[in-house]
Amino acid sequence: MATILKVTGLKKAFGHHQVLRGVDFTVETGHIVGLVGPNGAGKSTIMKAVLGLIPTNAGTIEIDGQAVAITSHQALKQVGALIEYPGIYPFLTGMQHLTLFAKKKNRAEHIQRIVAGLGMGPYINAKAKSYSLGMKQKLGIAQALVNRPRLVILDEPMNGLDPQAVKDLRDLIQAEAKNGTSFLISSHILSELEKLADDVLVLNEGHIMQETSMTELETANGVLYTLHTVDDAAARTAITAAGLTLEAGPGLTVRQTTNATTLNRTLVAVVNAGINIQSIDQSHPDLESTFLQMVAQSKQKEA
Amino acid sequence: MGTLIGQELFKLVHKVGTWIAVGVMVVIQFAFIAGGLIYPKVFNQAGMITSDFVADSIIVFIMIASTASIIAMEFQYGTIRQLLYRQYYRSQVFISKLITLVIQLVCLHLIASLVTMVASLVAFPDFDWTAGDHLKNYALTQGGETLTLLLLLSAVLLLATLFKTNAAAIAVGFVGYFLVEIAGTILISLIQKWEWLKWLPFTMLMTSSQILTPGLKSMTKLDLPWMIGLTCAYTVLLTVISYLSFRRRAV
Repeated sequence: MATILKVTGLKKAFGHHQVLRGVDFTVETGHIVGLVGPNGAGKSTIMKAVLGLIPTNAGTIEIDGQAVAITSHQALKQVGALIEYPGIYPFLTGMQHLTLFAKKKNRAEHIQRIVAGLGMGPYINAKAKSYSLGMKQKLGIAQALVNRPRLVILDEPMNGLDPQAVKDLRDLIQAEAKNGTSFLISSHILSELEKLADDVLVLNEGHIMQETSMTELETANGVLYTLHTVDDAAARTAITAAGLTLEAGPGLTVRQTTNATTLNRTLVAVVNAGINIQSIDQSHPDLESTFLQMVAQSKQKEA
Repeated sequence: MGTLIGQELFKLVHKVGTWIAVGVMVVIQFAFIAGGLIYPKVFNQAGMITSDFVADSIIVFIMIASTASIIAMEFQYGTIRQLLYRQYYRSQVFISKLITLVIQLVCLHLIASLVTMVASLVAFPDFDWTAGDHLKNYALTQGGETLTLLLLLSAVLLLATLFKTNAAAIAVGFVGYFLVEIAGTILISLIQKWEWLKWLPFTMLMTSSQILTPGLKSMTKLDLPWMIGLTCAYTVLLTVISYLSFRRRAV
């Protein structure tokens, strides 16, 4: 698999405030990469740097092997982006926006595909000043995708979209990725990102804390089993007495990761204590809980 | 670069304001044509024709508004990132906007000239373009006014790069225009006292007047070639400073 985007040792400071402290990551061709991190972690700064919009203090950015900097934009020919909020000319219609930014070759076909994909047909010929927040957001995304770029950078693309629009966008992104387009997407709606992303970059304190695939993340996080018994307090005592660790919270939840005997040992401990088990729920830790756990651990380290 | 200019022109022609401005200019021209027909003694026929029936002044206002908004609107509408993240450089984006402004200026002059020519043939058939210096005066008036206007617009562009909204940039452009006009008049009297003041850019706003009235040299204390050369030099200088300001702006 070829690498479309390679970021190495990226550093950026605004005055005395160091936002990025040596960021390294790659995006592979046809992959959807989720960039997550708390507010102010530097997600938009990374995206702006990749798009050659801001000068950086150190590090390199390469798109398809070509360097990108504020003074070197040639590689951006194959890039589409939506950063922070959509740029909309109120005096133009949606169709005129797409015509303005679409390349001449196969223009009509590309516009038609993106308008249909995002369900923008009913209002595409209305002036953009009459658009709702969600309509503007879709238009911004359409502008990023209309030229079928090889790399698409989307900053909070789900902002203002209704559930149907979110699904339409997810389907479109996945279809484009299958055709070889790579995506770098930041979003605070982690449940949505989880459905989309192949890989995840967790950014905190100006560093990439974790770069992994969603599959690896799921495997590493294991499976959660929650027991419901006739006497949860006694069961809790029995489980901890057996040397097993319960997840934080009121329930009797154990995590089974690489050690496949955890569930079995838990059940044995509870049964041997003479406590009746009523039911067992199985669940996978989501990206949100993983992310929150990482940020909490980071704060604990700082403390 | 051709793509960028095409996109700028696309935006310009799809703005309703562009066409309203042209309409207003033509209507005012017709008003002065009518005035010239009804009150021939009040309205100086030759003077009105050489100034395109006041279109020259209307063009100044239209171009100040266009120049002030061509960059400020990108920041106001949040479209600046879309322009800058592509394969083009800030210099190319900036130059494409300058070229678009020049194209708009040329088009406005062409429309104004066309109305003037047709009006002079239909409404004032006695007016003979070939007699006296009519044609020469017309060319000198248009050329001189354009030269001075470009200087003024370069100053407006510099101010506009500092603003993030259309309205603020246009308002500052208009206020700046009137202040510069007043400053120019005051400066002429000050030059008589301190001659070195003649080198200031405000003096060059008299270039178009001095082209038509060479005697103004006694007031500006500069020969016409110097006036023309300095007008061009200040226009380029202010435009370069505008670019540097645009290049430094955070997006």
